[in-house]
Amino acid sequence: MTLRLAALLLLALCASAAGLLIGGTALGGGEILHALMHPHGAGVVDRIVWDLRLPRICIAAVVGACLALCGALLQGMLRNPLVDPYLTGVSAGSAAAIAVALMIGVAPAGLPAIGFGAGLGAAILVAALARRGSGIDSNRLILAGVSLSTLFAAIVTLAIVRAQSSDFAGAVVAWLAGSMAGRDWHDLWTVLPYAGAGIVLATFSVPALNALRVGDVRARSAGVDIDRAQWIILAASSLLAASSVVLAGMVGFIGLIVPHIARRLVGSDARVMLPACALLGAALCTVADAICRWIVAPAELPIGVLLAFIGVPAFLYLYLRQGAPR
Amino acid sequence: MIALTNLALTAGKRTVLAGIDATFERGAFTAVLGANGAGKTTLLRGIAGLRAPAEGSIRIDGVDVHALPATQRALRVAMIAADEVVLEGLTVREVVATGRFPHHRWWEWNERPQDREAVARALDDVELVDFARRPIETLSSGERQRAWIALGLAQETPVLLLDEPTSHLDVRAAHDVLRLLRGLCASGKTIVCVLHDVNEAAAFADRVALIGDGGIIAAGACDTVLERTNLERAYGIAMERAPMPDGSVRLFVPD
Repeated sequence: MTLRLAALLLLALCASAAGLLIGGTALGGGEILHALMHPHGAGVVDRIVWDLRLPRICIAAVVGACLALCGALLQGMLRNPLVDPYLTGVSAGSAAAIAVALMIGVAPAGLPAIGFGAGLGAAILVAALARRGSGIDSNRLILAGVSLSTLFAAIVTLAIVRAQSSDFAGAVVAWLAGSMAGRDWHDLWTVLPYAGAGIVLATFSVPALNALRVGDVRARSAGVDIDRAQWIILAASSLLAASSVVLAGMVGFIGLIVPHIARRLVGSDARVMLPACALLGAALCTVADAICRWIVAPAELPIGVLLAFIGVPAFLYLYLRQGAPR
Repeated sequence: MIALTNLALTAGKRTVLAGIDATFERGAFTAVLGANGAGKTTLLRGIAGLRAPAEGSIRIDGVDVHALPATQRALRVAMIAADEVVLEGLTVREVVATGRFPHHRWWEWNERPQDREAVARALDDVELVDFARRPIETLSSGERQRAWIALGLAQETPVLLLDEPTSHLDVRAAHDVLRLLRGLCASGKTIVCVLHDVNEAAAFADRVALIGDGGIIAAGACDTVLERTNLERAYGIAMERAPMPDGSVRLFVPD
């Protein structure tokens, strides 16, 4: 198992190296290595590496890891392989808030904070609706998440339809398609504490996640405080989803599919599966972002579009060839 | 010993059981019988500490189970639930190892030697050692039931509660499960088991608690409880007793 995790770490490192090499300007390995040694260098290559590519790689890795972890947590808690990170209502809530903020003319600098706050607010609303007694009802959670997401999506559509300028509609659509364009170190440092808190909470939930694999009643009989475990998992997933949404908008596929691939590679033991998800999600997102920057350079392809076009057929091929993932 | 005092249990706003006073002796096999919807599973969940009483108390060896934290409660009583969705791909060993949860503090993630011993012992008790690496969904219904029992055994509790462990099993598999439970009783476990088949209860249980009319109709030795009036009250149908050559009785519904 340690070997497989080490292999996934190597994969993530290779993906990062690919992310450094790929870009609109062709750079050699030697040039990049030299630039990495000189973080404060004033040369063009130094600035490309330190101001453009490195922050993008780190942001992509954080987004991928957050989404994959979030998907794994929610799928594990609900024992439902069709659940994705956006079930919590985070992304739809953020999208609606950002669309409204753009419509009323809020400065772009304020959008991440608005998106993050609205995302968490939506997650709290979904959790409140899913509450039963002192715990959470799984069916209610899915129902509340899907219903509120639909409502928020309608607000976004309404905002686009009533938009006076095409710039506004374009900005909202770009955000919905998912992209890390224009993000820098500052964005990453702002989000990192929240993503870190999500990871810490996810770590707390590892034993309960393992016990939940045998069913709620059996897990409760074995001594799991289900109510507490569900609140911790929901808080962790909301923080992780909100972090990724603020950094990259709506990036599909990773949160749904990476947990499936990770389970196939390392099994469902959360002690190994969660780190495997984080590494695999980080690697996949980093490579996908690098391709997005390169394939139509100097323009950029939205990462959500690329992941859907390449990832979904690839996954379906694997799924149909080898049987359903566990 | 399990002691229920003036116990009332609810499902939502509906009172399912009320005014229950009963004791379940240590080391005895007690079968809980009753019609569908009578409240057998509710009673079991109450004893397991999974459903708080609306009134009264449930004490195991003098300790109120509902006053205990979840892990402390799980060291005293284990409940083997009936059908419940399980994550696909789990091996039998992983399922059984879940029973070690209450023996760990939250930061203790890895198995210790005593955990490995307890899991091995539980698998051995239910004769599933050779199935340890098999995914749980590839087992037959009878084998899977034994795996759930092993989960409860790995928990190492003095009390084991089982909800319809013989449902969906053929005669042989049901007999194997009941014989296993009988053996566990002989080794000192207190077993409370919901059953549907009154003859299974008569053949394997030491005592019977017959549930109906929102409470316990009768509780005690099989011979005294499983008689015509009680059974008719519990199931709403007349049943006859037929003595067997070995001295036991069989119950049946006459034409």
